[in-house]
Amino acid sequence: MANTLIELQNIKKIFQVGGGFLGSGSKDLIAVNNISFKIEEGQTYGLVGESGCGKTTTAKMILMLENPTEGTIIFNDQDVFEASKTDPEYKKKYKSSVQAVFQDPWASLNPRMRVRDIIGEPLEINTDMTKKQIRSRVDELLVEVGLQAYQSNLYPHEFSGGQRQRLGVARALSLNPRLIILDEPVSALDVSIRAQIMNLLVDLQKEYNLSYLLIAHHLATVRYMCDKMGVMYLGNLMEEANATDLFDDPLHNYTRALMSAALPSHPDIVRDDEIILEGDVPSPLNPPPGCVFQPRCLNQSKCTCSKTPPSLKEMKPNHMVADCKCCTTYAGSKLKKA
Amino acid sequence: MVNKQSKKQTSKKKAIEEIVLSVKDLQTHFYTKWGLVKAVDGLSFDLKKEETLAVVGESGSGKSVTALSIMQLIPSPPGFIVGGEINLEGENLLNKSDKEMQSVRGSRIAMVLQDPMTALNPVFNIADQVGETLSIHKKLKGSQLYNSIIDMLEKVNIPAAEERMKDYPHQLSGGMRQRVVGAIGVSCSPTILIADEPTTSLDATIQAQYLRLLKDLQNEFGMAILFITHDFGIVAKMCDRVAVMYAGRIVEIGEVREIFNNPKHPYTQGLIKSVPSMDEDIDRLYSIPGQPPALWDVPDGCRFSPRKESPCCDVCINEKYEMVEIKPGHLVDGCKCCRGTCKSSKK
Repeated sequence: MANTLIELQNIKKIFQVGGGFLGSGSKDLIAVNNISFKIEEGQTYGLVGESGCGKTTTAKMILMLENPTEGTIIFNDQDVFEASKTDPEYKKKYKSSVQAVFQDPWASLNPRMRVRDIIGEPLEINTDMTKKQIRSRVDELLVEVGLQAYQSNLYPHEFSGGQRQRLGVARALSLNPRLIILDEPVSALDVSIRAQIMNLLVDLQKEYNLSYLLIAHHLATVRYMCDKMGVMYLGNLMEEANATDLFDDPLHNYTRALMSAALPSHPDIVRDDEIILEGDVPSPLNPPPGCVFQPRCLNQSKCTCSKTPPSLKEMKPNHMVADCKCCTTYAGSKLKKA
Repeated sequence: MVNKQSKKQTSKKKAIEEIVLSVKDLQTHFYTKWGLVKAVDGLSFDLKKEETLAVVGESGSGKSVTALSIMQLIPSPPGFIVGGEINLEGENLLNKSDKEMQSVRGSRIAMVLQDPMTALNPVFNIADQVGETLSIHKKLKGSQLYNSIIDMLEKVNIPAAEERMKDYPHQLSGGMRQRVVGAIGVSCSPTILIADEPTTSLDATIQAQYLRLLKDLQNEFGMAILFITHDFGIVAKMCDRVAVMYAGRIVEIGEVREIFNNPKHPYTQGLIKSVPSMDEDIDRLYSIPGQPPALWDVPDGCRFSPRKESPCCDVCINEKYEMVEIKPGHLVDGCKCCRGTCKSSKK
């Protein structure tokens, strides 16, 4: 088995919102509540969930853009936040080995910089390479992501959406990172371009033995790209397993509902037992006590877990589920796929 | 599976094959600084009563311009409808004056847009906004108006409609806002509802709620839906027929099952193959090479040839072509090479 590259241990993030002068009367918003997972070397970990469930906050903490309120992040057997306190150089080193590709290729590239400078900037800051070396490295990277070397003189507006996303990938690759965070990398792209970018990412992973953290809400994308995945709801990890296992046999009712809500890839695929959840996701400012999914759960009448929050339990080998009795059993027939 | 299919077909036959909207050779052009942009260039389709027709395509393929042309809401200048006909129940909308069009919009053809936050006015409460169409088109007043507003909000499953109707758009969640837009759309029981990517900004579980709601409303009001989307999943889930658009034209149109099982145009084939599936593991996804042409620089002959793995033959590439019906109800628009009937490509 591959080595663990990064491990999140009981990460919690609380934001203080509202409040008046000196923060009096502010409220706690629990964006991420006690989540733990590992990403292995050369593998892709997928995080799925609806907007506001804490996926991006988790990614930001891994990128060291936010400090977790509680918990630790272990990267290559080293506590990231501890190490960066004692060794100021460590932060720089860590940040160059963890890079990101963002959703919107229109917003994530500076319109006033040439491609050469956009991709070369990380190299200029983090390495001692000469201008000439940087230039040849940029050309190399452009070819690597399927563009051409002469395009390094152009500005971002001269590229199409798919090409811009390729530029974002080239920039992320420039420092030879170990982990790339992909925050909805294809959802802003057109259907015919999505497949191109997904295939590019898969190829690069194989070539450089990269690890990915893929944040997405499109389940089919996750199934195609991920080895392991976690399902988040309102800041909590509800279920975690190998992607194939999780898709073939989801155990938590929220995962079942998410999958039943996903659109079919062929009109003949009819889900026997369609679950359509009522209502909206509750506000994270005022989360339900105990199991967060309980108010929308299908057998909430029988629920006994509304007082104590459930913890993750290994129900099947390598298949962790939030241990809530009502949310992991479903009275109706099992969800089937035609 | 077989069962479902035959069921679907019999229910189809029962439906009245009455055409409510017929678009013929529509051409909408924009005069821009880059040159003449033929956003919609020779588009023809029929919309039958109570059916859902999906229009799929990538951005810039002309889906939204088609919708705006039907509503005659093309910003002009730079856009002009330079040719064609749009017949709504036998009347050509292009011959109508602005004033006459106003009585069509909202009452006979309604529209649901992608982003509910821009579709709703932030400074009016939702009762005012749902009531506006009702008071203009149905001339309702006072308690009658009040009751129908509540009625409409209840139809789109807004909980506690009587209290929520005084809310402003920012007080509602994204899904609820989109349901309010839906309520405005169906409030005058239109013949046709144009839904322009109504679920793109919604989350997966909310999207499922909304699609079901649209289906329910369609059954209740008996409207035809023109569903504009780029997601083949939505097509598979809730549409009866599908029109695939590429560079301003429909390249293929037909029954949803027929198109999925038997796509004839290479673009449709590529699109269907390039969508990953949730139900099985795929080793490698197919991707269509290249990107759509710039609309001010569309090739004269075959539009799709540059993106094919083996380009069309020299004759086909320059030849003009027309839409061909290859099976009843299944039409393909493409050169002979794209349709696979060219002698030189058959070798």
